[in-house]
Amino acid sequence: MFQTASLKQTLQFDQQSCRLTLEGLPDLSAGHSGDAIGILTGWSLAWVGRPEELEGRREHLEAILRVVLAYARYLISGVPRRVGAAEEPASISQGEDGRHVLHLRSSQAGVEPLSLGLDDAELADLVRVLDRLRLDPRLQVSLPEDPCRPLRAREVQGRTPLPRRLSGVVGGALALGLSAAAAWLLPPPPAPAPAPGSPPVAAPRG
Amino acid sequence: MSAAVALERPLSRRGVERLDLLLLCVEALDFNGGEAMVWISAQLGFNELFPNRVELWKRRCHNPLRRSFRRGSLAPAETDALIRILGVMAERLYPMLHQLLASSEPEALLQERWDLFAARLGELVRERMNPRRSGVQRLLDPIAGAPLRRQLILSLALAAGAGGFERLRASLLDADG
Repeated sequence: MFQTASLKQTLQFDQQSCRLTLEGLPDLSAGHSGDAIGILTGWSLAWVGRPEELEGRREHLEAILRVVLAYARYLISGVPRRVGAAEEPASISQGEDGRHVLHLRSSQAGVEPLSLGLDDAELADLVRVLDRLRLDPRLQVSLPEDPCRPLRAREVQGRTPLPRRLSGVVGGALALGLSAAAAWLLPPPPAPAPAPGSPPVAAPRG
Repeated sequence: MSAAVALERPLSRRGVERLDLLLLCVEALDFNGGEAMVWISAQLGFNELFPNRVELWKRRCHNPLRRSFRRGSLAPAETDALIRILGVMAERLYPMLHQLLASSEPEALLQERWDLFAARLGELVRERMNPRRSGVQRLLDPIAGAPLRRQLILSLALAAGAGGFERLRASLLDADG
């Protein structure tokens, strides 16, 4: 972290493939120390080997943080799924080639949406950078919570192939059917002989 | 579901399988991984839970895929400790995980690294896991096992670092699909 002559603070989070830089000021009215950032004035995300450097307002950073961490949560369970709607500032999904595509939409009119394809290593780097940002005590800005919760059964259905998911049900139904067929084929047990001294049973007519 | 509920719930059968396989991957990546786990356990203050290597091994034997499978379930404190150890190991090995996952690496070099990892993991799996289990057979399959091995490495990469513990723990507590 570097401190300039003014109150302006810069936080930098580096990984092998990306660097996230935050600029801001301590909110002295809230009692923040001089090295904290309580008012975020700007951020940038630079990638090694890519010309694009992402910049934006606080809500864009929040949107990236929210969708990327939620996506990573699904990914670690082996069920990648799109996070973020088309009209939101950021969304992320898995492309057909297996790369992870981060879609970013600017709030400024006339700025085309940007799609950034990331491989698994770049995504892992981005997740680490965002984790460090989220948990850095110097950043005194309220950020979205990381939704780390266990997934429900219907959310992880795609992890198990359909034939394996159905095998239990089909096997059970088959076993039940075979048991029913076997029971139907068995001869009925003979009627019990009448006890001596009991009144004779009238034979049915016809 | 609240986090408090999740903390108290023991891992499902699948969760224990994944946790042990992730630890096995760490051993496949680091020849001294077994030693390192014991050392990290002591460093993290888990001496009471795992006073020695045998106790650590016994907890891992709750994995139903193991040859020497132990019945019963892991206590939540033991699970958390194993995930913490795994997180530290993944952090140490992160540069290696990054190399395996990076598409920018030369194709031949990348293939060589994956082959090396698959061979080492295969040795450990054959040595410790029950080969009659379909999950073990799938993992050992050169073709069908490749995506499983990649998923394990990606899970390790996402489990490393500051937020990795919570992410991996939540994942291990997933409902069975």
